[in-house]
Amino acid sequence: MAEKFDLNEREVWDGNYAASQALRQAQVDVVAAYPITPSTPIVENYGAYVANGYIDGEFVMVESEHAAMSGCVGASAAGGRVATATSSQGFALMVEVLYQASGMRLPIVLTVVNRALASPLNVRGDHGDMYLGRDSGWIQIDAFNAQEAYDLTLCAFKIGENHDVRLPVMVHQDGFITSHTAQNVYPLSDEKAYGFIGDIVPVDDMLDFSRPVTYGAQTEEDWHFEHKAKQHKALMDSRTVIDDVFAEFEKLTGRKYNRVEGYDMDDAEVVIVALGTTVETARVAAQELREEGVKAGVVGIRVFRPFPFDQVRDMLENAKSIAVLDRSSPGGAMGAFFNEVSAALYTTPNRPLITNYIYGLGGRDFSVAEAKRIFLEQKANADAGHITTDIQQFSGLRGPHLGYFQTKRS
Amino acid sequence: MQDLKLKAAEKRGIHQLGGDELVGWDEVTQGIILTSFEGDASDIVHKKAEERNYSDFNSYTATVASWRVKKPVFNIDVCIDCQNCWVWCPDTSIISRDKQMLGIDYDHCKGCEVCVEVCPTNPKSLLMFGEQEDLETALSQWPEKKKKEK
Amino acid sequence: MAITSIKNLKEFSTNNDRFEGAHTLCPGCAHSMIVRELMNCTDDNLVIASNTGCLEVSTAVYPFTSWDTSWIHIGFENAATAVSGAEAMFKARKKKGTLKDNDASVKFVAFGGDGSTYDIGFQWLSGAMERGHDFTYICLDNENYANTGGQRSSATPIGAHTSTAQAGTHSYGKKQKKKDIVAIMAAHDAPYVAQLAPNKWKSMAKGFQKALETEGPCFINTVSPCCTEWKFDPKDTINITDLATDTLMFPIYEIINGHELNILYRPKNVLPVEEYLAAQGRYKHLFKPENKHVIEEIQKNINEYWEMLQRREEARV
Repeated sequence: MAEKFDLNEREVWDGNYAASQALRQAQVDVVAAYPITPSTPIVENYGAYVANGYIDGEFVMVESEHAAMSGCVGASAAGGRVATATSSQGFALMVEVLYQASGMRLPIVLTVVNRALASPLNVRGDHGDMYLGRDSGWIQIDAFNAQEAYDLTLCAFKIGENHDVRLPVMVHQDGFITSHTAQNVYPLSDEKAYGFIGDIVPVDDMLDFSRPVTYGAQTEEDWHFEHKAKQHKALMDSRTVIDDVFAEFEKLTGRKYNRVEGYDMDDAEVVIVALGTTVETARVAAQELREEGVKAGVVGIRVFRPFPFDQVRDMLENAKSIAVLDRSSPGGAMGAFFNEVSAALYTTPNRPLITNYIYGLGGRDFSVAEAKRIFLEQKANADAGHITTDIQQFSGLRGPHLGYFQTKRS
Repeated sequence: MQDLKLKAAEKRGIHQLGGDELVGWDEVTQGIILTSFEGDASDIVHKKAEERNYSDFNSYTATVASWRVKKPVFNIDVCIDCQNCWVWCPDTSIISRDKQMLGIDYDHCKGCEVCVEVCPTNPKSLLMFGEQEDLETALSQWPEKKKKEK
Repeated sequence: MAITSIKNLKEFSTNNDRFEGAHTLCPGCAHSMIVRELMNCTDDNLVIASNTGCLEVSTAVYPFTSWDTSWIHIGFENAATAVSGAEAMFKARKKKGTLKDNDASVKFVAFGGDGSTYDIGFQWLSGAMERGHDFTYICLDNENYANTGGQRSSATPIGAHTSTAQAGTHSYGKKQKKKDIVAIMAAHDAPYVAQLAPNKWKSMAKGFQKALETEGPCFINTVSPCCTEWKFDPKDTINITDLATDTLMFPIYEIINGHELNILYRPKNVLPVEEYLAAQGRYKHLFKPENKHVIEEIQKNINEYWEMLQRREEARV
């Protein structure tokens, strides 16, 4: 039996510590991990809990992130609860195995502390790694602060391990801004937290020798397509389970999560759509602008995958001008997030104006003033009835203005 | 006549590899996981093939007989049950029970001829014949014991 | 631990195979001889992981599996890690009592070809060996990337022709010597490391059993003649293996606790390496006059290595 860990009703935790406490309360059986800044403390803390008897689990320190996820796949197929953490280059090294984990429908929880991808090498937060996972078949949940990193990691186990889902889940938080910033966190008691998640009930357990199973078979053109289609269907169908888990969590804690979070959206005319801590910055800007009479609102995507296409549309269709903020180098295209939100809005009768801002790469600070400027540009668009700026702009960049494409109006 | 389904469980070799019969939507298992047996298989290691309840996913239920152009034929009268053929058969196609060589599983034999090569008897207890040759004709053509050349 | 009798072949043959036919390995492939022997050596429950390679692509092509025990394949490089994870989970669940059968005796095994063992999965293997998981890694060494059509690996011997180390008017095939994987694994201070061959079924079965019984990470390199890429008749798989062991091209030995070396097979008549080389198409070009020096070099390498093994055996260090 694991030792009791005393918690206060209110703790001061950073995002990493919050995530690691969720792993402890979930009594994760195996963590196979390789440390990388800024997610290192999550697995260090797990190791400390094991070393001091707070978890009855196995901490397997492997020799690379590829091996970390490989070990997690082997452990998860062996029927217990599995989690790990990574960032950036480590995430990139894991990518091969991310696809294999989801293809085998293994409910591994990966806490991703978002960080830019090299080159140039950079340890600060942007969403390059998060975007790299977007086609990997994982559920991707995004936490905007330490409390959410804790809450959503607990939820992740319950979602992924649900037998109607059986998919791996990533819980993202922003490198340093969330992971290393101490904030108030209200944890659940160990009993309450574990009671919420429940025991893992294995499926196709490699250690159940009354029913030998083969994992990782090959499929060619005669089977592969149906298999991937079923996997996509499982992701799409997980939406209702995610909603149910969030509802149950609200009953337990009073903290309500939604796949798409809207702030001041009831009458919003100009909107920022964003991921991560930027959502909180934009909220402050929106509130200040509202005092000046600008009807500003903010939409944060809580569940990045499965992408809430219909909810994004419903939330935004009555806005006039929308800025979609991509914190990832777009590599010769519009921002990927912009493209997804635009596609959702294209299916509305109003088709609000929508522009794309590339910002905050490599941890470049995103300030309230910058958010306000973006809102005011939307206001100008709304007033003019058309986009007055380049459709894609780099925001917060030194040097000359960098932007691309204008609306075709004749 | 030698029984070609010798010691076969009911489902041995009933499926063609890559055959269409299983293709569908409902047969796509979650996570592409394959189960080897139906029901409780706890003690499978102590059960002979014909006592096992193989699932349709087990390759035991599939056949590679079409790979062969020649087949090994077994002559029980010459065999000394040394089990060389059993240990070196790459296709689990030598049927040995209670230390006795009984014959060949023609659903899984690919005709590689290793069993013939490793057979130490004189004449050999296993020889290759055309795929269409029947057992009686094959046995009637069995060579005599060779004298050692000096 | 439940090991099965290997007193003689008759006893051994009473085992019930857990590796089924209608896999799609080439006729005469030694891989399945080795896998069958491993699985027949023990009555224990097995969790087996395979790297990508001939064995994997031939034994689990949907909708069929040839494995009668738990089996997992993830990628080319990570079978040792997959089995590490499963072994860690076994320990964790045993502690918690959440296994279906908490008293079950379980052995963890990983298979890889020489491509995944010597090359692409080398780091993953080294990591798992260093961490000390209780598992046995078996390399099915056919000295080339056979699954992708016969490219060179770092296990390909000098002088062999492969599609990426070709013999031609200006080349005698691969220029580099084979990597000594057994020495590298022994240097991990593994409790049991061996090099074995399927023609010597008994020493192979004994080695397998020792590895399974030994707690900690064990490594076994097995020679697995490849009729397709070595270019010989499938019926000759065991004959070629005999030549490999009798020319000492592939000596059979074990190393215990990283230093105690035992030679497991001493040929009564050591054959010249030409006999082994001449039996395979991949060495055909070495018999041209201009390549004679390569055969001489191979023979010299063999002699020196055999000498080294014997000295180490004597020295017991």
